Amino acid sequence: MTLHATFPDTALDPAPLLSVAGVSRFYGERIGCKDVSFDLWPGEVLGVVGESGSGKSTLLRCLAGIDRPDAGEVLFRGLDTPLDIYSVPEQERRKLMRTAWGIVHQNPRDGLRMDVSAGGNVGERLMDRGDRHYGQIRERALDWLSRVEISGTRIDDRPRQFSGGMQQRLQIARVLVSEPRLVFMDEPTGGLDVSVQAKLLDLLRVLVRDLGLAAIIVTHDLAVARLLTDRLMVMKDGHVIEQGLTDQVLDDPHHAYTQLLTSAVLSV
Amino acid sequence: MTTMIRVENVAKAFTLHNQGGVRLPVFGDVNFSVEAGEALVLAGASGAGKSSLLRILYGNYRPSSGTIHITHGGKPVDIVAAVPRTVLDIRRRTLGFVSQFLRVIPRVSALDIVRDPLLARGATPEEASERAKAMLARLNLPERLWNLAPATFSGGEQQRVNIARSFVDPSAIMLIDEPTASLDAANRDVVVELIAEARGKGSAIVGIFHDEAVRERVATRYLDITDFRKAS
Repeated sequence: MTLHATFPDTALDPAPLLSVAGVSRFYGERIGCKDVSFDLWPGEVLGVVGESGSGKSTLLRCLAGIDRPDAGEVLFRGLDTPLDIYSVPEQERRKLMRTAWGIVHQNPRDGLRMDVSAGGNVGERLMDRGDRHYGQIRERALDWLSRVEISGTRIDDRPRQFSGGMQQRLQIARVLVSEPRLVFMDEPTGGLDVSVQAKLLDLLRVLVRDLGLAAIIVTHDLAVARLLTDRLMVMKDGHVIEQGLTDQVLDDPHHAYTQLLTSAVLSV
Repeated sequence: MTTMIRVENVAKAFTLHNQGGVRLPVFGDVNFSVEAGEALVLAGASGAGKSSLLRILYGNYRPSSGTIHITHGGKPVDIVAAVPRTVLDIRRRTLGFVSQFLRVIPRVSALDIVRDPLLARGATPEEASERAKAMLARLNLPERLWNLAPATFSGGEQQRVNIARSFVDPSAIMLIDEPTASLDAANRDVVVELIAEARGKGSAIVGIFHDEAVRERVATRYLDITDFRKAS
């Protein structure tokens, strides 16, 4: 296993991969998230932290194309021409979500097809992007199962026969097999035992670094944020209250709420 | 001489919002620079802010005011004002931090931890392994531990893994915080040699050394933080 880090050469950066401007979403009177703006560069991993109800999952759903924001713009530059994802028809946006980017759900059941084999789950994404050669698809599926440490002998088993940790690793293989430029993760280690979490975290860390992925990871776990992310946004009541380099925000928090969050943790 | 770090008018205070908004001034009006090949040792009593200053130089703590220009890729870059990805690039290519503690990552072996900076800078896996093994051997870490994750290592063993990782490919600037705290005399000597070798290759060193004997062997110049404390 390597720890190879592929950082972008900042002097050569052409443009951000994702530009988010003024994204807001409301639930009636209540604020889901308000006026969120940031840029994400290729290879950057951004963490969004905050307690339950802070708006981090709402924001992720807006950014990932799942829920249309009430205001604001999400501009993706991973294709030939920049694309405002909410200016195109639903169908085109769905296609983008299946090919150029990936979403890892907290509950693997939301990201997997439970009645399709493990190999089918991984291969489906390849067929979505136009691969047709059955042998090659199966070979790639096998390769990805081994990369997420699932034995090839399980390729024809259905996800419901897998443990929670395996299901989550299978979901990650399904998302990463199509080589997305950008990955969204919502509490990727949320429902797992601590020992299984550690294994998954290490796997994610290595994959993100080796593939040079850009990723946005929502988590309430500051240790997960410390391990996986380069930058951090802290959310409270739908607003981004502090952001910066992950270790800066965690070690020298300036906002009262961030100080409360970091001091409430035993050791991160 | 090449100036590697130029600190101008730096001040730092912590405001503890959840403890009645207490403001803790650390220092003010900090001005100094560090040249390539120098080893500047920070002096001052415990609590004077030596570690805070080191963390500010690394871009880990944010100063309340001032600029810190780091010579990165031949050009001065203000690490205080730099965007996160620039700070990360400075750390990857120019600026190393050696702390007393190893941040253990689950399941990653000591050897992989030491290889990591070499791979990140483009070494082949074979070359990286070879140099990492040589460095671990030099720091007297038993070979049977190399392929184990250091979570279960003793404090001194973890510290040596950390030092090996930092010195396997010394950065142009090395910030060092108490690297010899829990080491025996033999390993302390190795660390002193490693610092001298890095300096010989042109690295600029800024360090905190509790041990007076180590301090005197390493330092080419001292900077007393207490002087800046008065200005806060």
